[in-house]
Amino acid sequence: MNTRKSIKKLLLLIPVLLLLFNSCKHEDLEIAKENENFRLASDFIKNNYDMSLFYAAIEKAGMKAQLQGPGPFTVLVPNNLAFQQIGISRPSDFDKMNQDSLKSLVQRHVLNYRLLTRDIPLNGVDIRYLTLAGEELYTTSSNFNPKGFANYQLDLFFNGAAVVKEDVNLANGALHVINKVMKYTPKSTVQDWLAKRPQYSIFVSGLKKFGLWDKLATAGPFTVFAPQNKEFEASNITEASIAALNTKNYNGKRLFGGYVMDKKHFFISDFFAFKFINDETVFIRKVDDDNWLMIMNSASDSFNRLNTLTLNLRTPVDFYTNYNTIYASTPGLSDNLTDNGLVHDVQGLLLLPEQALINNSPNN
Amino acid sequence: MPQSRLKNILLSPIILLLFAAGCSKVEYAKIDDPAYLRVFNNLNYTIGLDNKDEAVPFLTMLIDPEMDKDGIPVKAAVKGDFLDQREPYAPPYPSHIGTGISYKNVEYPGKENVLVGPILNGFDLSSWAQIPSGKHRVVFLFRPVNNVPFFDLDTKLKRSVLIDTTMVLDAKEVYTLHVLQKNFVTKKNGVYLRKENFHKLSLSDSLVYVNFYNMSAKGFVNASKDQKTSYKKSGALYGGIKDEMNIFYSLYTSEKTMKGPVYGYQNILLGKLTRNSEVLEVSPYYNFPLFADGKSNGKFTNIWQRLDLMTPGMDPANNPYEAFQMETDGNWAPVNCMTDGKSQLIGNDNAAQLPNMIVNIHSGVYNPRSFSTVNTIEIVNGNVYLTTVQRKYAPPIY
Repeated sequence: MNTRKSIKKLLLLIPVLLLLFNSCKHEDLEIAKENENFRLASDFIKNNYDMSLFYAAIEKAGMKAQLQGPGPFTVLVPNNLAFQQIGISRPSDFDKMNQDSLKSLVQRHVLNYRLLTRDIPLNGVDIRYLTLAGEELYTTSSNFNPKGFANYQLDLFFNGAAVVKEDVNLANGALHVINKVMKYTPKSTVQDWLAKRPQYSIFVSGLKKFGLWDKLATAGPFTVFAPQNKEFEASNITEASIAALNTKNYNGKRLFGGYVMDKKHFFISDFFAFKFINDETVFIRKVDDDNWLMIMNSASDSFNRLNTLTLNLRTPVDFYTNYNTIYASTPGLSDNLTDNGLVHDVQGLLLLPEQALINNSPNN
Repeated sequence: MPQSRLKNILLSPIILLLFAAGCSKVEYAKIDDPAYLRVFNNLNYTIGLDNKDEAVPFLTMLIDPEMDKDGIPVKAAVKGDFLDQREPYAPPYPSHIGTGISYKNVEYPGKENVLVGPILNGFDLSSWAQIPSGKHRVVFLFRPVNNVPFFDLDTKLKRSVLIDTTMVLDAKEVYTLHVLQKNFVTKKNGVYLRKENFHKLSLSDSLVYVNFYNMSAKGFVNASKDQKTSYKKSGALYGGIKDEMNIFYSLYTSEKTMKGPVYGYQNILLGKLTRNSEVLEVSPYYNFPLFADGKSNGKFTNIWQRLDLMTPGMDPANNPYEAFQMETDGNWAPVNCMTDGKSQLIGNDNAAQLPNMIVNIHSGVYNPRSFSTVNTIEIVNGNVYLTTVQRKYAPPIY
């Protein structure tokens, strides 16, 4: 009896011993290790060909050492295409710029903390983040469409500039690549901005002629869609021909007022953000102090994150007529932020003077 | 013998442990002389392109907050966080707690784990929070839409005050507090505190009671319809109703159709509804019989309620509008209180949808049994809300 019991115990012991031996064997597990050697901000930008112009700007502005520092920073890097759109195609072009304004341009693209896309609230519109330049960025993310099927996406905009590559890790922060140089003119108004740029002189003379100019220096905010002189000249409109117009015969609220939106500050990106968040595909608003409507449509090339806004004027509903469509399609030329609003460059003219003649258009 | 002694030695520490555990004192939260408070966020606008600078209507309520030297709240006696836009139906029991997975709270107390009201004069106040009575400073703040508790937010996000006010809450009184848009043009916001009286009235068990409020913002009904596009769900009501309206009610028995009218209860004038978002007074309760349908057995009834809000001079019998018309210029807004409030009447119907006012539930041996309720219908801009209060009822017997 006893011997049998002990044999049983011995037999049981064998698998237990086996288990013990087995567990003693260690094989080295190979786990893909995350890269812990992230680069510092300046180094990363220097080593990236598509950021060579921004790197040149950092160097010229004397910001290189600071961005090698402990941080943390979030760097919003405009790619080279973004600089080319505003006429900077080689590093030497920065020499033409004022040193101080170049420095604040670079500082405007750096936040003094680490901001990843996951830190930005879902569908947040115009969330402000402070930059090194002491200004606040308007950040909009449209990630979630409550009604749609494919309701998640990543669409992030800083001051209207679309993020084309997000959440790049740096040893001293994070980096996002944007498709546009963020432009902000501190301590200026929409009026100052337009007055300083001779390529908009015909547009400015029209605003002055029809009494729309003075309000652009007030609090606003305003959103102005500004056609350049070449757009007017293509339709044989010059400063002289505008000066010759008799204001009594033309409806200035449509002819030039159509380009100006009171009490609104729209980035071009807002039209895309709300298209996704709220299914607002078309934005219709009345031309200020007039019964005509302004129709704004947006189309986006999601591959290149290129957004185009189209605008046209329309007579009131029921038996309406659509007029010329104009475009804001070059990211580099839109979203010029000032203290009382934004200016967007547009291609084309909303109305020709003869279309704004009083008593000549339907639905007056 | 030694074995049993060993057993005793082993057992004694267990008994000692039990004693030790039994000594811990449980502190029950208690509020002396409480007032009962229920809070709704009636800011029902949607942020779109046209109003993108408006604050997102997502709030934090702080009662008796402590501010630091910069005026930033650091502590509060009562905190109602994540206060989202209210739902069309506020049920008679706290249905939000335990069922939702979202951090958003559609009413206060809602999901908050706080002391709630008792059964007062037969009415179940478990959707009302207990608040110490007396004078309180109440602050509502806009907060970002995320699940970070208010006091953990960044300092700059704790500054956007909607309203900072004081209110006096009397002990054992029932209050509903509404955050409202007071003016649609200037976008001025405010609060509206109503001292309810349903628990003091001698209300019958066999009648269903309902009262009405139009707490719409000034100027909403007259505003251009382009500015009201976010209210399309409410049928003809989306554009608001005129400041003076008459209320008519009709009862039907048939499911989701108007084919089974309860005769004698068609297009009956209940009373007048005046827009009022300033003066705090309880509207009179109107009633209709729970068992208005003569064919019901006195235990269960399937009637549902149709309300027609019509401008004075108009009557459902000579209604110039058709049931499919959404544009009634604020002259006519029908409301169906039917089933769960999510199903449309069959056919082209421009009514807003609300759940049935009558609660049908298993009670005693009856499954279902119909219970009369006390209801409040509130119209805020283009939306309509139903709050139902119910008496305590017998538990089901299976």
